[in-house]
Amino acid sequence: MMKKIDVQNQPVLPPRRVLQIALTGVKYRLFRATVTVAVIVVAMAFLMNILTESLIKRAVADSVREQITDLHRVDRWIARLSMPQPHEDLLARLAEETPDSEALAELAARGGMSAEDIEALRPKAREALIGLGFFADLDYGRRRVLAGPDESVRIFHRLQDDGAWQQFASNLADMKTLRFPMEPEAFRAFLRGWPELNAQLEAIRGGQSEAIAALRAQLGDTPLMEALRGVDGPFGDAVRAAGFRLAPEEAESLADEVERLDQVLRIEATINNPGVRQKVAALRDVLPGDVTLPMIWALLRDRERADWFLAAMRENGLETGGLTAERLEDLARQRAHTRLLQVAERQTLETGGGLLGIGKRMTWLALVSMLVCAVGIANAMLMSVTERFREIATLKCLGALDAFIMSMFLIEACLLGLVGGIGGALAGFLLAGGRMALMFRALLGQAFPWGDVAAAAGISVVLGMVLAAVSAVYPSLRAARLAPMEAMRIE
Amino acid sequence: MSTPDTISQAESPETASKRVIIRTVGMKKIYHRGEETTYALRGVNVEIYTGEFIVVMGPSGSGKSTFFNMIGALDSPSEGRVFIDEVDVAQLTAEELAFLRCRKIGYIFQSYNLIQYMTALENVTTPMAFGGVSPDEARKRGMDLLELVGLKERWFHRPIEMSGGQQQRVAIARSLANNPGILLCDEPTANLDHHTGDEILAILQKLNKERGVTTICATHDHRMMNICDRLMWIRDGDIERIARRDEVEVEVGHIE
Repeated sequence: MMKKIDVQNQPVLPPRRVLQIALTGVKYRLFRATVTVAVIVVAMAFLMNILTESLIKRAVADSVREQITDLHRVDRWIARLSMPQPHEDLLARLAEETPDSEALAELAARGGMSAEDIEALRPKAREALIGLGFFADLDYGRRRVLAGPDESVRIFHRLQDDGAWQQFASNLADMKTLRFPMEPEAFRAFLRGWPELNAQLEAIRGGQSEAIAALRAQLGDTPLMEALRGVDGPFGDAVRAAGFRLAPEEAESLADEVERLDQVLRIEATINNPGVRQKVAALRDVLPGDVTLPMIWALLRDRERADWFLAAMRENGLETGGLTAERLEDLARQRAHTRLLQVAERQTLETGGGLLGIGKRMTWLALVSMLVCAVGIANAMLMSVTERFREIATLKCLGALDAFIMSMFLIEACLLGLVGGIGGALAGFLLAGGRMALMFRALLGQAFPWGDVAAAAGISVVLGMVLAAVSAVYPSLRAARLAPMEAMRIE
Repeated sequence: MSTPDTISQAESPETASKRVIIRTVGMKKIYHRGEETTYALRGVNVEIYTGEFIVVMGPSGSGKSTFFNMIGALDSPSEGRVFIDEVDVAQLTAEELAFLRCRKIGYIFQSYNLIQYMTALENVTTPMAFGGVSPDEARKRGMDLLELVGLKERWFHRPIEMSGGQQQRVAIARSLANNPGILLCDEPTANLDHHTGDEILAILQKLNKERGVTTICATHDHRMMNICDRLMWIRDGDIERIARRDEVEVEVGHIE
C-alpha cells in the first residue's frame, strides 16, 4: 500500500531571489533594522576609533623619532660630559649596539678592555636587561614583595644574599599568574655572575669619570654650556682628546643647537626688561604686566615685527649680537614646531603592548563592547523571529525548506552587519582622525598611515558582518525549527 | 474509543469508483504532560476520495484542528498512519515533506496569512519559486490565477491595500499555484461578511467542480453544507458521524 513519493528534492531558491526577499523584509521593518544597525555602528566605531588612534600615534612616533632625539641632543651631551653613565644605560648600550660599533669601542677603551672582552659582556648584558625589564613592569605591590624597596640593579645586589634569594624564589612561586622570563636556575646563575659584570661596568664608569675630570680641568671655570658653543672647533678637539666619540656632523649640529638655545634664552630674557615690555604692551594694547612669552613669540613670526623688536631691544640697551630679523622669525617658527614635537613625545609614550599596539585595557574594552553588540543583535533578531512566526509558518506551508528560512535571517543579519560596519568604520575614523589632527597638527600631514587605517577599516567592516552573522545563528535556528502548523489556528 | 465499524463511510456509487487520496488508519494523537495523558484524537479511520468536497465540523477542543494538521502533512500522529496519495506521511524526510506541501497540498487560512511585504502577484508566485518554476513562467501563471479569482488588475497591490475578501481570493490563487490535488481550508469565510463569503464559496465550488481539486474545509458556516459532497462531525477526538449531503438534507428543517 505504500508508494514512494517521486520527489525531486525542493530546488534551492536562486541567491538573487533569496536576497530580494531578505531585502524587502528589511525594508518592511526599517525601524527595527535601523536600531540594530545603530548598535553595530557604535561598537564598530569604538573599535575603529581606538585602532585608528593607536595606528596614527605609532606612525607619528615613527616619523618624528629622529627629530625628538635631536631635541634632546644638548641635554644628552651635557649629561655625558658631566657624569658617568648609569648602569642601566651601559647595559642597554652593550646589549643593543651592533658589534664593532664605535660606541662599543669607546666603552672598551674606558674600561681598559679589549674588543673580545666587550663581546663577552654582551650576552650577560642581555640577561640583565631581561631581569631589569621584568622588575620594571611589575606593579607596585608585587615589586615590594619580590624586591623590597630596591629598584633596578640594586635588586641584583640584594639578591646576592642566599637568604634573600630563597625568599624571592618562594614569593615568586606563590604568585602563580606571574611568569618570570627566565628559568629560575638561569637567573640564579646570572646573579652569581653579577658581581663580575658589575665590576666591569664600574671599570667603564671609572674610565668615564676620569675623562670627565680631565675635561673639567681644561675648562676651568667656564660653564659647560658656554664651552659647547665652540664644540665645532677647539672644544670639540678637546672632547675627542678625552676619548669621547664625536663625529664632525654631530659637533656641528650640537654647536648649532647650543647657539639656538642661547639665542632663545636671550630673547626670553627680554621680558624682564621694563622698556621692552612697555613697548610690546603698547603695541598689543595691553598692560605691561600682561605681556607673556607666547605673546612675544607670536610677534616675532612676522618679519617686520621682528625688525621692530630688535630695534626695541637696542633702544633698551640689550645685546643683539648675532640676531637678525630673519633669525628671529626662524626661531619663532622652530619653537612652534618644537612644541608639537614635545606634545607628540608625550602622547606617544604609551604605545605598544596588546593587540596592534592598542594596549591590554583597550583590547579588553573593545572585546566587551563587541560582546554587548552581539547580545543586542541576537535580541533584536529574536524579536524579529517572534513577530514573524506566522509568516515563517506560512512559508513552510508553501514549501520552504528549513535551510531557506535560516538563510533568510542570516542574510538579513549580514546585510545589517555590512551597513553597520561601514558606518562604524567611517564614524570611528572621523572621530579618531579629528582628535589626532587637533593633537598633532602639522606632524600628521607627513606621517598619516593611510594604508594601515584602510586595513583597520576593512577589519571593522568584516568584523561587523561576522558579528551580526554569528549573533543571528541562534535566532535563525529557532525560526527554522518553527512548526508549520503554527499557521493553522482553528478555533 | 475509535471510529466504530458501524459508522459508514457514506460511500455512494460515484465514490466507489474513485481513488482514495487521503486515508487515515487508526490515527491517534496523544499528549503527555507529566502524569496526565490527553487524547486529542482517538483512532480515526477516514477515507477521502479525489475530487470530493468535504466539510469537517465540530466544537472547540474536539480535535478538529489536530485532525486537519494530520491530513495536511503539518503534524504526524502518535499512533496509526496517514496516507496522502498512498504515501505514509510519517516516513517522509523534511525535504520530502516540503515537496508535498509545495506541490500536492494548497492551504487556505482563516486569517489569509499573506506575506505583508509582497505584492499580490509575488504572494501567488512564491510557492512556484519554491517549486522551481522559472520567473517568467511563474509570472504568467500567477496572472492567470489572479484572473481566475477576479483580481488581475490588482496584481501589484499589497495585502494592506486590499479588503478581507480580496485577500482571501489572493490566498486561494496562491493555494493553486502548483496545481495541487488537495485544498485544505481552515474557516475560509469566518472573517468575512455575508456577501463576500458567498463570493468565496462560489469560487471554491467552481474550483472543485472544474478542476477536480479535493477540497477539505473546516467550518461553522452552514452555507458551506450546501455545496459539499460529504460532511464529517468530530467530537472528543472521534468521528461522530460521516454523512453525504443528500443524506443530511433528508432530515428536513434542521441539521444534526
